[in-house]
Amino acid sequence: MSAPAAEPAEPTAADFKRQLIDLALKSGALTAGVADAAAFTAAPEGHRPTDLLPKAKAVFVVGGAQPRAADWQSPMSSFMEASSTADRINALGLRMANHIERQFGYYALMVPAGIDRGGQPFVSVALAAELAGCGTKSIAGPVLHPEHGFMYYSALITTLNLPVDGPLDEPACPAPQCVEMWEAEGTTPCLATCPIDQGGCLGGRIEDGKIAETRYDRARCTTRAQTYWAPGFQKALGAALDEKDAAKRQMIINSSGFTRTLWSMTYSSVSQSQCFECMRVCPVGHERRELR
Amino acid sequence: MDAKANPETEPNPAGAHPSPEDATAAIKALASKMGGDVCGIAHVRDWDEFVPEGYRPDDILPGCESVVVIGARGPTAGAWRCPDNRIMEVNGYDFANDRAVHVVADFIERTYGFYAMQAPSLPTGGHQPPFSMMLAAVLAGLGTRSFAANIVLNPKFGLLYYSAAFTTLPLSYDGRLEQNVCPHKMCVATYRAVGKTPCMAACDADDGGCLDGTIDANGEIESVYYDRERCSTRSMQFGINSFQNALNEMIAEDDDDTRRMMINSDFVSRSCGAMGYFKDSVAQCFECMRVCPIGREERKLK
Repeated sequence: MSAPAAEPAEPTAADFKRQLIDLALKSGALTAGVADAAAFTAAPEGHRPTDLLPKAKAVFVVGGAQPRAADWQSPMSSFMEASSTADRINALGLRMANHIERQFGYYALMVPAGIDRGGQPFVSVALAAELAGCGTKSIAGPVLHPEHGFMYYSALITTLNLPVDGPLDEPACPAPQCVEMWEAEGTTPCLATCPIDQGGCLGGRIEDGKIAETRYDRARCTTRAQTYWAPGFQKALGAALDEKDAAKRQMIINSSGFTRTLWSMTYSSVSQSQCFECMRVCPVGHERRELR
Repeated sequence: MDAKANPETEPNPAGAHPSPEDATAAIKALASKMGGDVCGIAHVRDWDEFVPEGYRPDDILPGCESVVVIGARGPTAGAWRCPDNRIMEVNGYDFANDRAVHVVADFIERTYGFYAMQAPSLPTGGHQPPFSMMLAAVLAGLGTRSFAANIVLNPKFGLLYYSAAFTTLPLSYDGRLEQNVCPHKMCVATYRAVGKTPCMAACDADDGGCLDGTIDANGEIESVYYDRERCSTRSMQFGINSFQNALNEMIAEDDDDTRRMMINSDFVSRSCGAMGYFKDSVAQCFECMRVCPIGREERKLK
């Protein structure tokens, strides 16, 4: 008589993490990592993972859906304005949350990509990406992955205990080329393309090869980077309702600009940027955009 | 392969003519693989008893024989656990049922060579949908109507989102459920004790809420009251309806500064986001479903 088969071993936290990362990468993510749910002390109370999911242990972050190499090559800047959105990575985030619940039996809550009251995120996905070791904040603002540079991120909060990656030891920004440029010219490619003191959005300072200060004019950037999406629509609607002349008002409402705001809102659910100039000149991940 | 056409993506009029049983099994397996939690099939004539002529499946697809209905869970169990109810306002729906039904319709046309189309869900005139997904779910044996806003509850999962496909392909039919899903035994006991079910108590029509009803001596639904207008104003705060309300107020505002403040408020931003995100369905109140015991065990995780 043969011996009874041994009970399969319970998967460990490391097994769960490996499976999740494999699935994320297979599904198109460029990077994935885990943050400690208790590490979000930089976020205000009410916007931490445990505020949204009681007994949360970990935050799983996926990154990807960046513009393709050819997108960056296109001389038509309006192409990127209409094609680059966070929707694909958000769909993957929700898929990962469903996988954790349905395959592993732990609670998982995808952090909504939309905004809560006051224009604030429910939980900062950028902070989650940093704490999961998927990248670091750049002098231009976006979290940059050290190899791939700019990408979109999605995060989910879970009661599943996963080994934490934690923040990266070395910041992705500034790249060595940017440090050299700073030392020679007192600016970096991103700061030079949109200087805050000359009507742009970005300012900052590098000391000892590290970011010592960042300045970012969020309001100005929004009016430039979201010219067609919800903010663009609100602006156009304001202009239309301000207009006292009926014929001019009709012209505003029937304009191609107004039409594009409506298309943009339905095409991209949560985010559509329309200015990539600070990222276009960023050297982090640039070599991956060079194809034949 | 023909350089001009991919046979995998072309309708196949000479497709295999499968037995209804084989086609049904293949369709249900595909629906499950594509993210559907449940799949049921109803015969086109099942609509005759409930729907006036002009609004039946074969009025929309001539020659329609079968209606395939797919249901999928919306919010994750983790989202139901969140103490911040605003999370569910923006995280409730992922279109898994819509995706699955499109794949199934493509599969029927490309594999079997029968017509198949997604059933319409958006109103095309007035506020009535040209086709009721709720009735389709009931006729396909996926659930029955409940006290809670008439929401169709599935016996295993409770609240699901439904999509349907019409096809000229004859299939095997599930028939309606023999037993009503609602009220749950626990709700009957609660009703006998306090005169309300959990959903009615969560949104009591006598106390400014939307729901009321009675249970008969056999423990079945005897009457249902649902204040649809009141529910709409509460459960659709950031979608198309709320935007229309806000637009009325903005147009009526004479003071330029006040109007600009209204237009650039985070409320209007969220309304725009909701219109884009949800496209055709947005609910921002799940309280009657939060307390419903049906499908609750499916939401209990570690």
